[in-house]
Amino acid sequence: MVDTGDRGGVTVPTVDVSELSLVLYRVLTTTGFKATIGLELHVQLLAAQKLFSAASAKWNEPPNTNVNVADAGFPGALPQLNPECVQLAARAILALNGQIQQRSAFDRKHYFYADQPLGYQITQQHHPIGRGGYVDLGLLDGLEYVKRIGIHQLQLEQDTAKSIHGVYPGHVLVDLNRAGVALIEIVSKPDVETADEAVFYVRKMQSLLRHIGVSSCNMEEGSLRCDVNVSVYRDGEDRLSGTRCELKNLNSLKVIRGAVNAEISRQIDVVRRGDNIEQETRGYDAQSNTTFVTRTKEAVPDYRYMPEPDVPEIHINDSWIARLRKMLPETPEVVMARMMPQYGLAQEDIETMLGEPGCTAFFEQAVVGRDPKRVLSWITSEVFGQLAYRSQRLADSSITVPQFTQIIDALSSDAITSAQAKQLLIAFMDGEQRTVDELIAAHRWEVISDDGKLRVISKQLLDAHPKEVARYLKGQTRRLNFFVGKLMQATNGQAKPQNASEIMKELLEARR
Amino acid sequence: MQLLLTRIKANRLRTACRYSTQSLKDTYKAINAHNPRLNALPHIHPPSSIQEANGPLSGWSFAAKSNIAAPPLPTTCGSHTLASYTSPFVATAVSMLEQAGARMIGTSNMDEFGMGSLSQTSVHGPAHNLHPEHSSALHSPGGSSGGSAAAVAARMCRVALGSDTGGSVRLPASWCGVCGFKPSYGRVSRYGLASYASSLDSVGILARSTRDIRDTFNIVSAPDRRDMTCMSKSLRTRIHALSASREWISRDTECASEPLRGVRIGVPSEFWVTELSPSAVDAWKQGAAKLSSLGCDIIPVSLPHIPHTLPAYYTLALAEASSNLARFDGIRFGTRHMPTLSTRANASLKYAQTRSMGFGDEVKRRILLGTFVMSARAHEHYYLPSQRIRRLVQREFNRIFALPNVLCTTNTKADARNVDKVDAILFPTATDTAPVQGTSDNPVTAYVNDVMTVSANMAGIPAISVPFGLHNGMPLGLQIAAQYGDDDIVLRIAHYLEPQAA
Repeated sequence: MVDTGDRGGVTVPTVDVSELSLVLYRVLTTTGFKATIGLELHVQLLAAQKLFSAASAKWNEPPNTNVNVADAGFPGALPQLNPECVQLAARAILALNGQIQQRSAFDRKHYFYADQPLGYQITQQHHPIGRGGYVDLGLLDGLEYVKRIGIHQLQLEQDTAKSIHGVYPGHVLVDLNRAGVALIEIVSKPDVETADEAVFYVRKMQSLLRHIGVSSCNMEEGSLRCDVNVSVYRDGEDRLSGTRCELKNLNSLKVIRGAVNAEISRQIDVVRRGDNIEQETRGYDAQSNTTFVTRTKEAVPDYRYMPEPDVPEIHINDSWIARLRKMLPETPEVVMARMMPQYGLAQEDIETMLGEPGCTAFFEQAVVGRDPKRVLSWITSEVFGQLAYRSQRLADSSITVPQFTQIIDALSSDAITSAQAKQLLIAFMDGEQRTVDELIAAHRWEVISDDGKLRVISKQLLDAHPKEVARYLKGQTRRLNFFVGKLMQATNGQAKPQNASEIMKELLEARR
Repeated sequence: MQLLLTRIKANRLRTACRYSTQSLKDTYKAINAHNPRLNALPHIHPPSSIQEANGPLSGWSFAAKSNIAAPPLPTTCGSHTLASYTSPFVATAVSMLEQAGARMIGTSNMDEFGMGSLSQTSVHGPAHNLHPEHSSALHSPGGSSGGSAAAVAARMCRVALGSDTGGSVRLPASWCGVCGFKPSYGRVSRYGLASYASSLDSVGILARSTRDIRDTFNIVSAPDRRDMTCMSKSLRTRIHALSASREWISRDTECASEPLRGVRIGVPSEFWVTELSPSAVDAWKQGAAKLSSLGCDIIPVSLPHIPHTLPAYYTLALAEASSNLARFDGIRFGTRHMPTLSTRANASLKYAQTRSMGFGDEVKRRILLGTFVMSARAHEHYYLPSQRIRRLVQREFNRIFALPNVLCTTNTKADARNVDKVDAILFPTATDTAPVQGTSDNPVTAYVNDVMTVSANMAGIPAISVPFGLHNGMPLGLQIAAQYGDDDIVLRIAHYLEPQAA
């Protein structure tokens, strides 16, 4: 990437010409300054029901169909804590190396808005369920050095409803399906220093939380939302001395990178000019690659935090934590470090599998006594392809490890062709319960590996098409494909393509 | 043991039914005779819609305060905001009474959203006191459960549910000459009770006798998962075991000449406030004498922070109220006033019209004050000190009561008696009898009516007001309160304090 050569006290970057303009610009404008960045991630939990109500938390349902009297704030309705959400939050805390607080409590955060039916959000401002923890970034994450990003706290809170502007002029449409869905807000320490680190941190968090089944962490679907706080300071000064601005509504990793870089540049410009940074909330415009003010400091509401009187404290004891820890799956790093040497797989391959909960376990069971590359390829191309087609998760699919391994074994022993193996996979994923052997018999797919039989048929075909044989012998060697095709046709695709090709070639050559 | 207790309970309830069962005809006769003047029940079920039902409370009629969800009748909370609002779900307390065979005859009038001590601020118009009987003067029945108290006093129903946040069941009970019970916080599920101040609210019971109170209490005092602040089954069992382990209190023997022998009654000196009228002081003395004659030891006790409870209560209650009433924007339910063109642009102003026009003056006053004490600058000067006072008051009660507070101890048995501690306290419910309705000018002076009652809400302890005589034809009541969870002894002592005529 960037190679800085030192020439008599002046640091000059030596770079690829193609990257020159961007990198040079960044280096020239940012030299002498550093950035302090903190991230707040809002992560929707994979619980079936909402945080304080029994309404379904399912995504993308018809508007206002998953609403309970407690979500809509009817008088007399009361919150009822969903224990599954506490478990998921605790799991996340353990995976992030944080401390589960044995006593935590909820607060009300008040503000009036169309997406806040009760006029307040139930959150854990002062006594969060998790404190501390960290995420380590390194080579495997795309960073050239090793860095630990600290976590300040992890708190449970309610998501807001969805308010849609601009559909009906002068009106706001409110969909309460999302109101009350459980979120965990993960507040990092201001340890991040560059846009890259910020992006890798978010990616790492996505991978980790998906792997342990806490959230789908999908930025497009809104199950992961990211706010970033950015401040700058002159090299050598206190890294917390700058005034910070909050960047909100960053809805993809690309946008996060662009927004953070744009904001750092803007703040450095302001400071260089001698002006003060105003504490503001800003958004990012990708077109112009700049940030813009969405809310000034004066407009920040006073949330009037109050302890939530309808929900008692959560008390968690050591034995509960111990049991949870036992059930926690290995972190992606541990899995990666173990599987790469064990199976000789590349990092990307394991990452792909880690992206699908349950997949690495599936792989490890299926691979025993088999070729890891073949098993991997069948999982990541064929199985994943089928899952995508069905919009299914592996965990919900009917395919079992024994079924999968039967296919692989049948393929390896030439009992079936690739095409037939694919058909079997589809059948199993459609719910087929018979074994591979039974299916082969049912379809009459026994592969014709008997060369003698093939020779007989091939000879018949060569005799039937003398013109093509002549063409081949004249030098049009591609006529071989014509005969192989005919052979496959004649055998209903049951000839092994390699055998068919070899035999045909041999017989054709013999006619020279 | 459990089975025996249940059988005894069931027997007593069945016996209760045979005592002065009020037929449906009598109920509606009383409603027709008194409701137009008292305005106690703004919504009434037509008699034809009422079906007899079986159960321990079969034959009982009840009214529910208008802030308790009881469809198909509207749950108006006495407010224009909810004037035609019908709840999509039923309050737990109401459905429990119905399952026990009691029949709901109507909703009762109240101060808007429970904010008031005179039942003067309702969208249905003010409620009035049955007393003084045979007089044209209309006195306040007290508030905010004034409708419930008036209805019970006028025999419009056998029992009524109210809500008590700072005395809203006990004050009207004392002014109307009936019994009004506020159980320990968490005894009765709040699911279905429109919240005013969540940490202070309690569903309360009003009736003409402590026996009827107890029978109703036995039905509605039960765990409810839908209310996380409702006592769990295990907590109730622990409290029961703890209170039963008190060996110094005689078993309930109705025929003994000293049925309350061994019970120590405390008289807290801090309740001797300057506003206390001579008639209230007299009643207090006579009450103490009566309990003494029944075997009680009467001893003075001190609760130094009682004088601070009134301002602390108003700070905390109003803060929680401003939070609980934020949901009333007219968008998902309730009356809505569309914003004018000029206010449409600003998001928060979209609600201003509905809320300004929907809420009465007292409610707006309390929401504004509550918002203020929670605001960034005022928070540590008002809200936090009030919470500290609350904690101090709880500690002081823990210090004077012989029964340990189950929430603060892991003991399963009450220790051998400490001679300085008491089992219950006795003090007046109100400083005076009911004023004429509509005479109160300054809204803040009305707050002083609550000085005798708010401390029980602050500490969450059980308290009851029993009628204790008349003064110039107007009733007054005395309060018994005890340690958190000790509802049983409150009802037991009250039984001996109330007028003995059935």
